[in-house]
Amino acid sequence: MSQTQTQSAPEAASDKAWEPKVVAFLCNWCSYAGADLAGVSRIQYPHNIRIIRVPCSGRISPAFLLRALQNGADAVLVSGCHPGDCHYISGNLAARRKFALLKELLQYTGIEPERVQFTWVSASEGGRFAAIVEKVVEQARKLGPNKKLVKNL
Amino acid sequence: MTASHEIELRLRDTAEQLLREKKVGLFLGYEKATLPFRTTPLFLTTAEGAERLVWNPFCTANLAVYLPGLFKAPADARQAKSAPPPPTVGIVLKGCDVRSVVALIQERQVPRENLVLVGIACPGVVDRRKAERALGEHQALGAGEDARGNVHAVVDDGTEVTLRREQIVADACLECRAPTPSLHDVLLGTPVEAKETDAARRRMAEFESRPLDVRWARFQEMLAKCIRCNACRQACPMCSGCKTCLLDQTRPRWIGAGTDISDVGIYHLLRAFHLAGRCTECGACARACPMGLDVRLLARKMCQEVEDLYGYRPGEATDATPVLSAFSLDDPQDFVTEP
Amino acid sequence: MAEKKIPHASLDQLLARLAERGTVYAPGKDASGDVALMEMPHGEPVVLEYGNFALSPKAFLLPQNQTLVHFKDGKAEEPILPDRETFLFGVRPCDARALLALDKVFLDGDPRDPYYAHFRSKTTVIALACTRPMSSCFCTSVSGGPGDAAGADVLAVSLETDLLLTAQTPKGEELLSSVADLLTESIPEAAQEAEEQIRGAEDQITPVRVHDSARRLRDAYESPFWATASQRCLGCGTCSFLCPTCHCFDITDEVRNGTGRRIRTWDCCAYPLFTLHASGHNPRPTPKERWRQRIMHKFRYAVENFDRPFCVGCGRCIRNCPVSMDLRTVFKEIGG
Repeated sequence: MSQTQTQSAPEAASDKAWEPKVVAFLCNWCSYAGADLAGVSRIQYPHNIRIIRVPCSGRISPAFLLRALQNGADAVLVSGCHPGDCHYISGNLAARRKFALLKELLQYTGIEPERVQFTWVSASEGGRFAAIVEKVVEQARKLGPNKKLVKNL
Repeated sequence: MTASHEIELRLRDTAEQLLREKKVGLFLGYEKATLPFRTTPLFLTTAEGAERLVWNPFCTANLAVYLPGLFKAPADARQAKSAPPPPTVGIVLKGCDVRSVVALIQERQVPRENLVLVGIACPGVVDRRKAERALGEHQALGAGEDARGNVHAVVDDGTEVTLRREQIVADACLECRAPTPSLHDVLLGTPVEAKETDAARRRMAEFESRPLDVRWARFQEMLAKCIRCNACRQACPMCSGCKTCLLDQTRPRWIGAGTDISDVGIYHLLRAFHLAGRCTECGACARACPMGLDVRLLARKMCQEVEDLYGYRPGEATDATPVLSAFSLDDPQDFVTEP
Repeated sequence: MAEKKIPHASLDQLLARLAERGTVYAPGKDASGDVALMEMPHGEPVVLEYGNFALSPKAFLLPQNQTLVHFKDGKAEEPILPDRETFLFGVRPCDARALLALDKVFLDGDPRDPYYAHFRSKTTVIALACTRPMSSCFCTSVSGGPGDAAGADVLAVSLETDLLLTAQTPKGEELLSSVADLLTESIPEAAQEAEEQIRGAEDQITPVRVHDSARRLRDAYESPFWATASQRCLGCGTCSFLCPTCHCFDITDEVRNGTGRRIRTWDCCAYPLFTLHASGHNPRPTPKERWRQRIMHKFRYAVENFDRPFCVGCGRCIRNCPVSMDLRTVFKEIGG
């Protein structure tokens, strides 16, 4: 018995080659500063990344990540300070447990593990940030556009 | 007399005494329902009512779900002035239900000192849908337990049918690891040992052995039946404490209200995540679901991960810190992406 | 109206014929072994022996999730409603009767609901009389019955060798004449067999004292019974969602950058949020007010406004309530 009677709006034809959209949640004190350092140092990294600054990786709720996927992100990256270096002492330590569980949960349901990734980048690791972004974008490109959990409006 | 009937009589005496001696102002138990294979929760305030209490294989509800509502803190200082003192509550609890109460105590949602825990060692409750299906085209007019713990039902043509307990026991009970209440003020029934302690693990291992896309397809299949009624959430004692569920929030709105499969998926994913380290595997959610979804699909996984990664099981010790309220400097981090 | 019959063996043919004109739903066993209305061809044999489906047919006229308006680039567009005919075969008389209650709300009101009206006009209901009511059934107490044809376009009764088909509306007449070559005229013996069967089913139903419900409920408004009866309610929504006459809905917008939709979804008065005001005040703050409202709506306000209770005695709420609440007990408690 059909329940949903929604119509999805027709998809716009695109004549550009598909590029993955990666949403990155970066903690203000370490990772965002690290990304900034990459920029200042003129280290090139893929433009596919869209950065959202949060005060601390501990601020991240899984709702953010799932919403990003729902809105069409092909991959999500979350980055915080290295454990032990959190500006708020333990925000990233609390987050670490949540991230571990979330990663297991999503993979369990059949969502590719490369779609949601977590890392630690410090304020001085501009190069590391760029390298991680390269990796995440490449992996997303290989996987293709994300169709799981996407909401078509 | 069956073991259950003996327990039932002792339960009535216990409740009667507690109420009469005013050791509790409210006693939560079960009473006979209007349809077979079911009972209904009973909120007793008088000792005379104790004879309505029953104990049988159909006592399926997790009564802990009512506790957070009974102990809600006053909204503000002014309300606190006129608010009545928190009640003293006696409550009938199976092994799994006690874990829920302990988990609620861990989270400071309910005060231990206001509770009288009447634990009953439980061999597993009956899933009324399984029982009804087992009768095929017949309908039960009445059902009870026999001396062996099986269920005998009188069906519409007047005949009696015996249904073996293990065939109609609820899914959660097949994976039960805590049949005997660990915490109690009174314990009724002979303590039961958990039988298949890795039933859940084996089930998950089987699911995880399938490729990613097969798992996703299975997940989507389950979600397609969901009508977003929220029965799973409302029946869950760990969900019952929240004033407004994240998934009902409108500012911001995290998921849509309808059955768009993306919204349904995120509802279940987020709810399972919010139960990580809190779900006590009672199965009330799956039994409440009117569409027969395996609602525990994701929570089961979270229980396993929390055990494997952090050696933690909710609902075992009232003074244990909930797993996501704690951290260790050497928590595992194999999941972290390196360049 | 025409009274025809068709041998059981030819039912598949009749359904196939209807499938040429639209989508046909007929009862079959789903993956969990329960009987549900499934889109034909569903590969399963059509089942005629069952209590009732978990979901009521209201889902066809008032879908759980329905787009009312599309937004694109800031402009609104009407949705294109599917133009196909729908044939529902095997709907129980209680569920068919429920459609008349929904019609009162969605068709007789001002404004008329164009979405509901569209699906209603495109749907033909072939009800199947009940032979074995369930212990939770009480249709006869709310003016219905196991062989009641109200709300159906055709009433089917499953007899020993044949299905007796009686048209109830012009749509039903039209349907029967479109498959006239598969049917034969009914004979008095068949009508007799049908009547006996229905009478036999009626005898199995335990009556509920629903008489004069509006007055009795009005008098019992302040009864302490409501508080005690409702304590168990979890506010889970199962009763409303499965109820064939419940029709409350919520309207929300889902928009992303100027594109999106306005959707209508099922709602439930038992939810704590149902009457929560933006100020934070809730006129129905506890299960007591909500449970009382539910019963009042169905058995008093509906009777006062529409001359019929908004309950057809299908029993789904009783069977599926996770804590086994039973609204029939209300009528024992309120006296009168």
